[in-house]
Amino acid sequence: MNRVDPKTVRPEQSEGSDHASNASANRHPQRERKFLKLRASGESSTTPQSPSRRTAMKQGISALATLALGETIMLIPGEAAAAPQECRTTRKELIGQRAEKRRISGDGRRKNDYKKAKIIKGVCLNCSTVCGIQGYVIDGKLVKVGGNPEDPNNGKSLCAKGQSGPTINTNAERILFPLKRVGARGEGKWKRITWDEAYTDIATRIRKAMDEGKPEEVAIQIGRSRIPEEMTRFLNAIGSPSLFNHRALCSSNKRAANYACFGDTDWETGDFANSKYILNFGSNFYEAHQGAIHVAKRIIRGRFDNGAKLVTVDVRCSNTAGRSDDWLCANPGSEGALALAMCNAIIMAGKHDAKWLDTWSNVNAAQMKVWIAKYTPEWGEGVTGIAAATIRRIALDFAAAAPAAIAFTNRGSAAHYNGFNNDRAVILLNAVVGSIGAVGGYCYGEEPTRVPGRVFPNPLPTPPSPKAKSAIEDPVEWPLANKWQRMKVGQIVYSGLKEGRGKVQVYISYTVATPMTWPEGRSLTVGVLKDEKLVPFHACSDVVYSEQAHYADLILPDASYMERWGLDTRNNMELRDYVTLRQPMIPPPGECVSFVDSMIEIGKRISPETAKYFAFKDHEEWMKIRCAGLTPRVGEDGFEYMKKHGVWQDMTKPKYYALYSWELTAAQMKGARVDEKTGDIFRANAAGKEAKIGLMVDGKARRGFATPSRKFSVYHEDIEAAAKDRKFDEDGGKGMPEYFPVPSIAKMKSEHLHLVSFKWNVHTQGRTQSQKFLTEIVHHNPMWINAKTAADRGLKTGDLVEITTYRPHGHAMGPGAGEVLGTALIPVWVTEGIHPRVLAVSNTLGNLFAGRAATATNGPRQDIPAWSDSVIAEDQDVRDDIWWDTRNGGTGAGFNINAILPIQPAPLVGMQGWYDTVCSIRKV
Amino acid sequence: MPTANPRWKLALDVERCIGCHACSVACKVENNVPLARFRTKVYYWEHGKFPDVKRNFLPTLCMQCEDAPCLKACPNDAIERFSDGIVRIDPDRCDHAAKCESACPYAAIGCDDNDIADKCDFCSHRLDAGMEPACVETCPAEVFHFGDANDPQSPYSLFMKKHGKETAVLKPEENTKPSVSYRGHAKEMEKKIPKGKLHDPFSYEIETWTSLESQFPKPKRVIWAKVVDAKPSTPTGGKS
Repeated sequence: MNRVDPKTVRPEQSEGSDHASNASANRHPQRERKFLKLRASGESSTTPQSPSRRTAMKQGISALATLALGETIMLIPGEAAAAPQECRTTRKELIGQRAEKRRISGDGRRKNDYKKAKIIKGVCLNCSTVCGIQGYVIDGKLVKVGGNPEDPNNGKSLCAKGQSGPTINTNAERILFPLKRVGARGEGKWKRITWDEAYTDIATRIRKAMDEGKPEEVAIQIGRSRIPEEMTRFLNAIGSPSLFNHRALCSSNKRAANYACFGDTDWETGDFANSKYILNFGSNFYEAHQGAIHVAKRIIRGRFDNGAKLVTVDVRCSNTAGRSDDWLCANPGSEGALALAMCNAIIMAGKHDAKWLDTWSNVNAAQMKVWIAKYTPEWGEGVTGIAAATIRRIALDFAAAAPAAIAFTNRGSAAHYNGFNNDRAVILLNAVVGSIGAVGGYCYGEEPTRVPGRVFPNPLPTPPSPKAKSAIEDPVEWPLANKWQRMKVGQIVYSGLKEGRGKVQVYISYTVATPMTWPEGRSLTVGVLKDEKLVPFHACSDVVYSEQAHYADLILPDASYMERWGLDTRNNMELRDYVTLRQPMIPPPGECVSFVDSMIEIGKRISPETAKYFAFKDHEEWMKIRCAGLTPRVGEDGFEYMKKHGVWQDMTKPKYYALYSWELTAAQMKGARVDEKTGDIFRANAAGKEAKIGLMVDGKARRGFATPSRKFSVYHEDIEAAAKDRKFDEDGGKGMPEYFPVPSIAKMKSEHLHLVSFKWNVHTQGRTQSQKFLTEIVHHNPMWINAKTAADRGLKTGDLVEITTYRPHGHAMGPGAGEVLGTALIPVWVTEGIHPRVLAVSNTLGNLFAGRAATATNGPRQDIPAWSDSVIAEDQDVRDDIWWDTRNGGTGAGFNINAILPIQPAPLVGMQGWYDTVCSIRKV
Repeated sequence: MPTANPRWKLALDVERCIGCHACSVACKVENNVPLARFRTKVYYWEHGKFPDVKRNFLPTLCMQCEDAPCLKACPNDAIERFSDGIVRIDPDRCDHAAKCESACPYAAIGCDDNDIADKCDFCSHRLDAGMEPACVETCPAEVFHFGDANDPQSPYSLFMKKHGKETAVLKPEENTKPSVSYRGHAKEMEKKIPKGKLHDPFSYEIETWTSLESQFPKPKRVIWAKVVDAKPSTPTGGKS
């Protein structure tokens, strides 16, 4: 046996057989079952049919000759199909053929001839940051993507994930045909069907739910879909509110905090490049963050071109923390306490902006001084573990830099039981120093997601909002989840189905891998997805065979984001409204179809009532109709403009600095009434009800903040009312951004530790591990443990521990507080770069499927007819060179920790307390 | 605009680097660099004691040396330094002697029994089309300052005018006169770059972040305990 990759073998291990057999003897049972085993089983009862005319026309008949319709195949990890050495028998033959192309995919020695390249604009979606891209298409192949220089956020820059994009399209293990389950659910036995069968099956089931008067039982589960308007139109046409999203797993506390404080939008746009002091509470924008590259680029300019200081609060030394001027390793869940103590230090030193507070805040400077008095830096030291002197130093440096000073957050502060108030307290720091909306300060614009609908109107008729209700989509326990936007509480979908809170007849999943990425994923989620009583029908749209697809009844092979249409936007760091266009750079391969095109086809088939909302040929025509709305603004055909530039930016308005002090226009003031005593401005809305629309400040009518008082809301009456209604009587429910402890953390015993998760710079949740160049860089995720903590327990890097997690305490949590949730075995990496009581495991790795790169299984593609060399060629990289395969002495494919992270929605808002998990460990 | 006789040079402002690997992945896709092979690579170094921990990054690539050891070592004259300053390989002349890899102090050229010699050529095919090298173009942190040293307005020349005195080459003791210079790199990290051997893919592993080793043959690797059963147990009722 000589299984060792010739390029990773070292002289001292050339006794390859010994090495390989050791590795194989000790291998994880799941690793034992090696390759995606796809074999014709001959169990099919369906007669092979001809390919659909549509696809045959699109791809040519040869593309379909591989897997006959109706043929049954296995798509589960089976035993090793062949020893890796077999695929290297040609190795020596390559010598002497150096002028030939080395790679069997035929492009090893490729030199892209850019003079022949067609440049097509688009938008990345390897994470949800919405970077503009441009693809270079040479001879019909997308050979490379770069940043779209016209994109105001990222320009020509892309991160590693963005650069990896083209490898998605040519992934040798891409699903190429619609598949229907023929074995038990989760068994992995499939047969190929036509799109017509798939569409008819789905449409018939949806029609049945509608006919029964239960449209809410048609649900779509999405990850980062970035087609919200298309999704909503589809579900509205059906009459279902059941769009199950992931916002509560991502950012809902942060978004709710921004809504509560200033109301206009849910995401700040720090003016980082012009800043002098950047105080970062739990964002890892050098690696992750929403808008990572957009933010990172400007923070680097701020630091190195404008002299800004960067201070990062994090329990783990991320790349961001490790490159900051100061890393403050505060106790988990104490971020709000730290921010309040800093507010106290600033106010007590008289360094706050009293005029700003008196003018624009609903708690004025004098009231603030009284309220903040209890949150001294000394008190803060006790809660956060950060020395009072350090708290004072940073607070006063921050205030001295104001208004060119920004304090901002992301998941590190927000993904806690008290995260909503953590984030409100951090935003308050900006208000205290008067940096809200200032040059170099904490800026924001009008809600960007409303721009596409306004500038690119959807074709009429548009379906009405659904009347049906879903207790899963709108759970009463978390009244702020859907108050400002429909953020929902995504982590309770599966417990909700299991407990009978709601039902589904038709469950469609798209761009998501909930078994990997949901809390209690491989436990509760998989249990529910496998249960045909709870989920009677599951159609999954995906690009590779994911853990989500594995538990489906139908697999709809999707187009990648470089092969489909769509409008997208987000906050623009240049503080202007903008919209981008995704367009196909190349057609999808095989029988892959963009999911929106599938929704259009299904919508047409459900009934004439739904069909009328989809009276266009396809998504392209839909986009063309919408882009016509842009024509008057750009003075040329709007669709052609968007295709040419990939982006439109509204230059008619000034940049969104100090939006709250913008003057109301004459049109806005028409019919308005000014209360002479208070200076409040009222106007009757369309329903005839008077609403506050602004404030008189300095003798001018100004819009103020989009809050009930039109002022920056330190106090918020709606929060107090919601807390009272839900009998949430902790300090977090008082309406002020009070600090209150995380109950699970407060009850920790000395032997307990915190368990947190994090994201790598080269990965996005569960969906990038199939990409070889990303997984080559990060494929292994041992658990981070502090050096002293490890030494106390006799642990060194590589040792195995058993980790046990416990169910959470707190308001509206499920039963079993403090009880064991589950245990797992995982090796540790000992580092100085983590809080002594915190353990960290990345949320990304440990995929069971998704191809050879993801599962660290070197070797040939399955010798079964599911793949087609004429559609996507075999890739020599994943055949020969997966050096992280344990059989090559590699570290393997990593671990998924989400199975033992408990579902723990924060009070009122419902965001997942990702960083509140309590655990204990034992050396194995 | 480059001059009629450009001299391509690169300066990296490493203090800005965020370790994102965008340069490496851009390079892999652009040049179809196989897994376990490299034209560029970013090194990580974590150091300090809790809570004073810092992380440094060092992107590496071919230094396009004026006195290139690879060129001198090649018995077939398959490596040539062009007047534009770029050291290029003639694939038809390479007969796989692998002397170039042994000679390079920067782990920048690879030549094994499954491949011919291969290394960074500043994406010459992109330069031909008036484009920047893939790594330069994509860098979100604006680390790479590339351009024609003969053009005073090139990003390289402008950067060197401002910061030239603060730049240094890697491993100056090798005396190879690199065309690539660095500002603000951690000198210790030069030890992480192998000499006489292409980058070791194992240097991606997290356990190497704290090390200044350049090669990870088996005896130097962490022995990771095997997880016999990673499947989570079913929930039980035990109290904590």
